[in-house]
Amino acid sequence: MKVKITKWNAVATWRWDIPEDDVCGICQVHFDGTCPTCKYPGDDCPLLSGKCGHNFHMHCILEWIKQDSAKGQCPMCRQKFEWTEPPHEPSVDTSQGPPEL
Amino acid sequence: MSAPFAAKRLGKELQKISNSLPPGIELVSADNFEEWLVDIRVLDDNPLYRNEIYRLRFRFSSTYPIEPPEVVFVKLPDRPIPIHPHIYSNGIICLDLLGHQGWSPVQNVESVCMSLQSMLTGNTKNERPPGDEEFVRGNRLRPRDIEFYYHDNDV
Repeated sequence: MKVKITKWNAVATWRWDIPEDDVCGICQVHFDGTCPTCKYPGDDCPLLSGKCGHNFHMHCILEWIKQDSAKGQCPMCRQKFEWTEPPHEPSVDTSQGPPEL
Repeated sequence: MSAPFAAKRLGKELQKISNSLPPGIELVSADNFEEWLVDIRVLDDNPLYRNEIYRLRFRFSSTYPIEPPEVVFVKLPDRPIPIHPHIYSNGIICLDLLGHQGWSPVQNVESVCMSLQSMLTGNTKNERPPGDEEFVRGNRLRPRDIEFYYHDNDV
């Protein structure tokens, strides 16, 4: 039997490439969601990963870091918060089911 | 930072604590995102706090949780102010965590309540802070502004 594909729709999902399925400690929103000031998750509201291993929405951690009282420290562990450039790229997962025939 | 930040974060917290809170902590009211009331009691048999329930008042600014909430004990006929060397008789609490020096935005209402619970649990001194009477008589500052005043005095 031969099948001729006349049309197909690709479907993809994404998630941040971080080990845990967790929430941002500052806004308590899931990492795959946005910080409270953004509308669209993903590139518009990226994550920032500290060298200490703690992740936050970039907008959340920057709000904190710009406070004098933050003393440049990670809110989780109080080590100096230094991040790795560039912020996380979303990893695209294309394995979500076959294309529509 | 804009106001939605505090409201959204408090909404998340409320969702979580409406379902479950650790033993000895009970949400009394959270009708808005400015002021919440919580009752706490000490779980062990510390004679200083046995059979008592204490009322906490949280006040949040629009910059919460970047800025700490203002947390005090409130006195009511059936809610005394717990005796503790860091709690003034007007309910003002001297706790590092609640000041700009010790606050972290990953803290939340539940974690603050638990810290206060353990601050009471661990206490054996039947005492008010030094200068309590004078402080309570003279203080016109809001708790969040007093912080400085302690630190300056400490230096």
